[in-house]
Amino acid sequence: MIGSIILTFALVFSIISMIMYFLNFKGYRNTISYARIFYHLCSIFVIVASTFLWYYLLTHQYQYKYVFSYSNNSLSTGLLLSSFWGGQEGSFMLWILLTVVVGIILQSYTSKRGDLEPRVMTIFTLAISFLLLMVSPWFKNPFEYIWVNPIFVDLKSINSIYLDLPFLQQFLFPDPQTNTTYVQVSSTLFASLVQNGIDPNTFIVNGRGLNPQLLNFWMQIHPPILFIGFAMATVPFAFAVSALMKNEYKDWVSQSFPWLLVGTGILGLGIMLGGYWAYEMLGWGGYWAWDPVENSSLIPWLIGVAAIHTMLVQKKSQSQSEGIGRYAKTNLILSILVYILVLYSTFLTRSGVLGDASVHSFVDPGMLAYLFLIIFISSFTLLGLGLIVYRWKYLKSEVPQDEGLFSRELSLFTASVVLCASAIIVFVGTSAPIVGRSVDISFYNEMHVPLAIIVGLLNGLSLLLKWKTTSTQELLSKSVIYLAISVVVTVIIILFGGVNDIMMILLAFSSIFTIIVNGEIAIKIVKNNFDKLGAYVAHIGLAIFILGVIGSSAYSNEKTLNLVKGKPTEAFGYQMVFTGYEPIENATKYAFNINMNKDGKTFNASPVMYIAEYNNSLMREPSIVVLPTKDIYIAPLSYEQTGDHDHSGSVSIEKGKSVKYENITLTFEKFEMGSDVMQAMQEGRDFQLGAVLSAISDNKNISFILYRKQSGDKVEFTSFESKELNLRVELLNLSAQGVELSLSKLDEPKETVKKEAEEVLVVNASIKPFVSLVWIGVLVVVIGFFIAFSKRLKESQLSN
Amino acid sequence: MKNKYIIGGFIIVLFLGIMGYLFTQSNIKYENNLALVKSTHKTVKATGSWVKEKKYTYDSENNLFQFYMKDDKGEEMLVVYRGAMPNNFESATSVVVTGSYQDNYFYAKDILTKCPSKYQEQPAAQSSSL
Repeated sequence: MIGSIILTFALVFSIISMIMYFLNFKGYRNTISYARIFYHLCSIFVIVASTFLWYYLLTHQYQYKYVFSYSNNSLSTGLLLSSFWGGQEGSFMLWILLTVVVGIILQSYTSKRGDLEPRVMTIFTLAISFLLLMVSPWFKNPFEYIWVNPIFVDLKSINSIYLDLPFLQQFLFPDPQTNTTYVQVSSTLFASLVQNGIDPNTFIVNGRGLNPQLLNFWMQIHPPILFIGFAMATVPFAFAVSALMKNEYKDWVSQSFPWLLVGTGILGLGIMLGGYWAYEMLGWGGYWAWDPVENSSLIPWLIGVAAIHTMLVQKKSQSQSEGIGRYAKTNLILSILVYILVLYSTFLTRSGVLGDASVHSFVDPGMLAYLFLIIFISSFTLLGLGLIVYRWKYLKSEVPQDEGLFSRELSLFTASVVLCASAIIVFVGTSAPIVGRSVDISFYNEMHVPLAIIVGLLNGLSLLLKWKTTSTQELLSKSVIYLAISVVVTVIIILFGGVNDIMMILLAFSSIFTIIVNGEIAIKIVKNNFDKLGAYVAHIGLAIFILGVIGSSAYSNEKTLNLVKGKPTEAFGYQMVFTGYEPIENATKYAFNINMNKDGKTFNASPVMYIAEYNNSLMREPSIVVLPTKDIYIAPLSYEQTGDHDHSGSVSIEKGKSVKYENITLTFEKFEMGSDVMQAMQEGRDFQLGAVLSAISDNKNISFILYRKQSGDKVEFTSFESKELNLRVELLNLSAQGVELSLSKLDEPKETVKKEAEEVLVVNASIKPFVSLVWIGVLVVVIGFFIAFSKRLKESQLSN
Repeated sequence: MKNKYIIGGFIIVLFLGIMGYLFTQSNIKYENNLALVKSTHKTVKATGSWVKEKKYTYDSENNLFQFYMKDDKGEEMLVVYRGAMPNNFESATSVVVTGSYQDNYFYAKDILTKCPSKYQEQPAAQSSSL
């Protein structure tokens, strides 16, 4: 309750701040101090609300639906803290929290730069207001009580002292499929509890917990970093719109540039961490699956990078006294699109439209939230693009001269166009499920190879071109040496690396060209001008990344192996031996140890498999052996023990049904359950379940009971023999569906074709050459972004 | 300004053209009518549910996973997938398989399982490949 109130206040403050900032922009001078006070109040309230959510999670207050749905008693403190963003409501909260923090820095930044603050902060507080509306009680409120809407809660999560309450019976729902009983928690139950003098807050004592795939280190850092990127995407939007508001397009470029650089850098890092998580933990087999959720954050990143290139030109041409500079319209449009696409990404992943298409599943948010998201996106699209249309006439009058064909301006613009083309392709492919279509992964891969080749060539070429214009002769004489070196290196790669696909050769060539041109310049300037290094570092990183992609995906080798325990199997030149499994992490998971041997060197891999209680499913975690030139990636598939159990010849009988065996009719009459079985199951005590069976032949009728006895983790089954009927009945399994029996005659010795027991581990092994270049490449790119940021931050101060 | 429009326009038109072509060639439709799935060799995303009575099999030697799925009209088909049983498969209530119908079975390149149990919202899991 208190959380919702705080958030509502934050929303009100945010709206007041927005109005005050807008009035200040309209000329009311004294409103600015109110605007600032209310903005800071809004920030403080958001921070306090977030603290409350964290506090509720840490103290297990399961009366809050969010806390119940995404945490439980067994989570470590780190994971409890990160369950904050385990669900939709909380990830909106995280987004808001990071946005208000970015806003505090932005407020201070803009207040030092002319009359920027009222315009930028009007737009920024507008965005915050929309986000705060999203977590208001009408939509996705993280502070909703569990009683509000009916929800099924596992009986195990209920405080055991209340289990005997008579009125509880009417809220119980057994689920025979999973052998669990659920309590329907609703406002009616809440009323009954209060009536009986029970504190409802003590009723639920455990939560559902997090999806097991999220229970690791990456959950703690990937989402926050990604959301910092999302939060920072608001800033270029606010700057572009504020330029349109004032109808003045010169200064905003320098002022927005450092924000765009650092925001794009962080978003890129967040995307990469997601890829690394998928590779290292989730066992997707790769780092990029063109999954809609990955794609939808890639699209704004591509547009952001495109904007960086054209903004650089605008800045440069301003300094060469070309008025507002080149590509002013392009920059406005791209800056606005970055944020709109972030919103679109949210829409795609939160609205349920991709229900059938994504690994990441997000529960249908409900019609109201769906409509609100659409209103959110439409408002910002109308505001941003509408203002551009409104100012179009003026913008068109500010046309600089045509750029030369061989000019750095045009090559940077072309790079930006190529990035936009890539963004459009990903956009179309990702949005296809909305119209009931879907594209294959090959669609993205095939489209991006030629784009990447062009990017690589432009990357080197643009640096050989001078601003304004370059003579053809000069260009040729300059580039010939670089091209020659690139050709030589590419030939070496073809000969020694076995690269033979024409597209891959071109791609390798263009990446090497990039590295050589950028590398040479970087070495030249590193001594006296570290500041200017950013672009070159980022470009070299990109080229390294592309080489890594070529190696790891185009030349990856994959095999499914059946590893019999103790028997060496040969794969990729390695002797692999499965040596057995061992329980890890308090016996919640099992590590399957594999020894790999090559040329006297031994490596160990331990892929992990376990049954997750959360969703009752088999979960798998790969194991990766990282070598200097390649990764050996071992993804477990299954583990089987053969021979020690012969289930053939077994029969299943549902309750009340019969089967015929020889001349005997065997009927499963009913379950036999002690009165305290339920209680015992919950408390984890030993218990037994029985099945009452009857065997009828001619005029003999014998009734007997078979038991499934559980003590600790051990399960035993009983059997029954009758000389009269010449029958042996062994219980193999007993579940809500019925019993599984093995039937045999007493006078015929039971077929014990015990094969020699074999333990087989099935794994998918792959060799991924130079996959480490992918990570190194992206990190180098990010470092480049940060170097460029520090330079442009200084410039943004100089301009005032 | 001409150069800008010529070069930019050329790249955009070229790639959007290729994209449009590839999209019409390779786009995959969602189909919940298995009778229609069986009548074509086209790649589709067939949606339906796993027939629990007919058990699944996993042949580790050839790494083949097989099961039967049916649509809401009761039409059944055999699905063959090269790979292990996806996470969550046993508790799945609905299955989306991507692939095409061959002679008498559906060859799946990809399986996506969904478990919207009556009592729990459960996450989806996919066996994905890159």
